[in-house]
Amino acid sequence: MRPVIGLEVHVQLTGAGSKLFCGCKADYRGMPPNTNVCPVCLGLPGALPVPNRRAVVQALAAAMALKCRIPGAIVFTRKHYFYPDLPKNYQITQFERAGGAPVCTSGVLEYLDPAGWVWRRARIRRINLEEDPGRSVYPGGSIVSSEEVLVDYNRSGVPLLEIVTEPDIPSPRAARAFVEYLLLTLEYIGAVNPRLEGAFRVDANISLPGGERVEVKNIGSTLEVERALEYEYKRQRLILERGGRVERETRHWDAHRRMTKPLRHKEEEAEYLYMPDPDLPPVLTRPLLGEAEALVATSPRRLLDEITGDGVPLEVAWSIVQARPAASLYMEARGRVRDPRVLARLLGVDYKGALREAGRGPHDPSNWPPAETMARLARLVEEGEYPPEAVRGLIIPGLVRDPQASLETVLPEKAEGLEAVVDEVIRAYPRAVQDYMSGKRRALDYLVGQVIRRLGRRAVDPREVRRLLEERLGGG
Amino acid sequence: MKKRGSLAQQLASGVYNPVERLEEALYLISRLEEEVNAFITLLPEERLREEAREAQRRILEGKARPLEGVLVAVKDNISVRGLRATAGSKMLSCYKPPYNAHVVERLVDAGAIIVGKTNMDEFAMGSTGEYSAYGPTRNPWDMGRVPGGSSSGSAATLAYAAVDLALGSDTGGSIRLPAAFTATVGLKPTYGAVSRRGLIPYANSLEQIGPMARSVRDLAFLYSVIAGRDPLDATSIDYQPPDPYTLEPRDPEAVRLCVPEEIIDASEAPVKAAFEGLLSRLEAQGATIEYFRAPWTSLVLPAYYTIAMAEAASNLARYDGSLYPCHDSRARTWEELNVEARTRLFGPEVKRRIAMGVLVLSEGYRDEYYVKAAKIRRLVRDRVLGIVRECIIGQPTSPVLPPRLGERLGDPLQLYALDISTVTANLAGVPALQLPVSVEPLPVGAQLMARPRGEVDLFELGLLVEEITGLAGVSAF
Ligand SMILES: [Zn+2]
Repeated sequence: MRPVIGLEVHVQLTGAGSKLFCGCKADYRGMPPNTNVCPVCLGLPGALPVPNRRAVVQALAAAMALKCRIPGAIVFTRKHYFYPDLPKNYQITQFERAGGAPVCTSGVLEYLDPAGWVWRRARIRRINLEEDPGRSVYPGGSIVSSEEVLVDYNRSGVPLLEIVTEPDIPSPRAARAFVEYLLLTLEYIGAVNPRLEGAFRVDANISLPGGERVEVKNIGSTLEVERALEYEYKRQRLILERGGRVERETRHWDAHRRMTKPLRHKEEEAEYLYMPDPDLPPVLTRPLLGEAEALVATSPRRLLDEITGDGVPLEVAWSIVQARPAASLYMEARGRVRDPRVLARLLGVDYKGALREAGRGPHDPSNWPPAETMARLARLVEEGEYPPEAVRGLIIPGLVRDPQASLETVLPEKAEGLEAVVDEVIRAYPRAVQDYMSGKRRALDYLVGQVIRRLGRRAVDPREVRRLLEERLGGG
Repeated sequence: MKKRGSLAQQLASGVYNPVERLEEALYLISRLEEEVNAFITLLPEERLREEAREAQRRILEGKARPLEGVLVAVKDNISVRGLRATAGSKMLSCYKPPYNAHVVERLVDAGAIIVGKTNMDEFAMGSTGEYSAYGPTRNPWDMGRVPGGSSSGSAATLAYAAVDLALGSDTGGSIRLPAAFTATVGLKPTYGAVSRRGLIPYANSLEQIGPMARSVRDLAFLYSVIAGRDPLDATSIDYQPPDPYTLEPRDPEAVRLCVPEEIIDASEAPVKAAFEGLLSRLEAQGATIEYFRAPWTSLVLPAYYTIAMAEAASNLARYDGSLYPCHDSRARTWEELNVEARTRLFGPEVKRRIAMGVLVLSEGYRDEYYVKAAKIRRLVRDRVLGIVRECIIGQPTSPVLPPRLGERLGDPLQLYALDISTVTANLAGVPALQLPVSVEPLPVGAQLMARPRGEVDLFELGLLVEEITGLAGVSAF
């Protein structure tokens, strides 16, 4: 039984600088409650919204990246519902059927599914640009039972993109891949840092043949997207296999207990009293398109195509593109090396792996060395100056420790006097020599290891050591 | 009845004395305010005196700003930092805005003295001034009658001369109707000419803050201070208001006035007589008067009220008793608080308009009401724009004389009918000036409507009308 999955992804434009309609910060993290507020995002009477140009441009860039139809003007609408974290009791969003005009209608995203390294396509139904509400906490339980509500409006008014797909996604794994690729696309625009806590939320709907559509709300990470849908897929399949009926309903993902729970059984058609926001004249898109286009110039897809075009395997290219600083380094350094594949491996596999091992983020440009350093290192590797073991074990960890270090200071000394060390080891380990002479091949590995240990931080090619040992000990 | 000289002239010639003027105003307030009830909040006398002395000092030192020491009243739906802004509602009886409205910022920068916040129909919903949670305002020309609304207090206080300038807001006639009932001058500006930032909203797409005064020149003076682009109001337009000093009455020969027959027909006899009297005197001086049919007149009230109520329902959703708490609540949960606050703290007319607004926006009704009203609005706007390109539209501001207190409260349709002449300018976004035509036996006003940004036409024609009526500067006390 193949599921049909559609997604609704809410992404904060954390890169928009300020909130959607006022000058407060778009990234409120780490601020004490209710300190990132002003009359506009508190919805005080008479405060007026003025669209943040950067947020609109980034939204348009997203629409371009998703190959959308972009309207001549964006029209904001008010969506009314009473909720403590919504200071005006309406949200400024877009709704086509009430005279609004979303940022995008009918687009498409081609996304890479690393399970099998295939490209998939999902149609985009629309993208809305809207305000994020504040955050409320009910110390006494729920909205109906708690005697207290604590509300923090720091988030209120943060620009939010609501991206809605058609039900085109074939599996929970693909859903995760879609969200990851979408976030990466938006990150390249400069619109979002998806690693910030709460930067995105996903609602998913999933149905199986013969069952109704179930919506799963409150999914907070890409891993949870896969888990929640996997859980829901199994739950629904079990019901259907037992001859039961899957009802149309909305369920809530409990990340802690890793299960979905029914939210409200009877789904009422809410009355939102949509109307165009009279405080916001339509925002003409044409004058902003040039600016938006510049933001989509370096899309993950374009970079992947360029990098694989250099002969780099897709897996390595994907690893590079996933870390934007690595991609920038690659593009900058590729012209200065003979074999870009060596550079790609250094960046996407060796250096990125070393960063992970050292517990440093690959997304922070300051954790990466300058392009010149990487280019020179790649050339040294190409020329066989240093064996891969030395590069991985000594040079790269040195750079990870201090990315701004000059290459010279992290390059190991060349192993001068290697022969002397080999002789030393032969004298020091007569038992191993004897074992080797009597045919125990593994003893040679041991001797090689001892030579390398004695060389300490100096670079040496183990094959060279092995060759020297064999020469001294007479073939074997 | 009394007549005062032009404030603008006194300011220009340097003879204006804020200290003396304030003492006179304080005397009038002490004598009349209790009965008129024009203010919801008055500033402490000591603070006002201090400001007047400071203004006087600046004038003597030759450092006077454009409105140095001028007494101004501000409608209570316009935010003044730290001063409570109730908008005539119990819902906001404790609300003190943490910021100044854009126009208030400009007033303060120009050196004006804000005397107080004026009474008004709750959230500007009303045409008589009787729907205030702080009691009705009376008309200084006849204390048994209403001053008109919703800018009732601003008009009334001008009419008893406690201030020389006032700010009102006009959503469907809320400046012009009270100005007509109190023989004062009021302007509903071109939509976007004056920033709405800081105006507690009723119907955003229709309303403007506007100036009120006792003469056209004084009004133009205040207008030149408050009008102009505000980048923090997305509906604000690039616009330069006319220079109040260089305004001259228009040559009557160059006046072309178009008069809609439907409005004349809808007006009661004394109003019609006073207005037609003005027309014939204008004509005698060489003005061209033309009558035209405006068959859309029957549509303007339903369209206007549908749009206004829809926007009102939306704007007033935020008052749920939580961010603006001000009562002893027995509610135990947020939802209970919500219901309790909206039940207890909104007045009956506000509740009616919210309920109607919700209805016209609801699925299944939206197309029939809200969308249709928007269509009518576009039609009316196109027709009106076509006419004001050619001429200035002139008509009585109110179809009736100021009603007695209580007279219009029984039937909402009777109340709404007062706005038949004024709502068109709001639907079309064009400027409209009200000025008095006669005060005997009661005030009657004329309304002039011009092309967008055509305030200068209105002021020039207004100065000519004042020459004819001799009513510039008139007040009841
Ligand atoms: Zn803000």
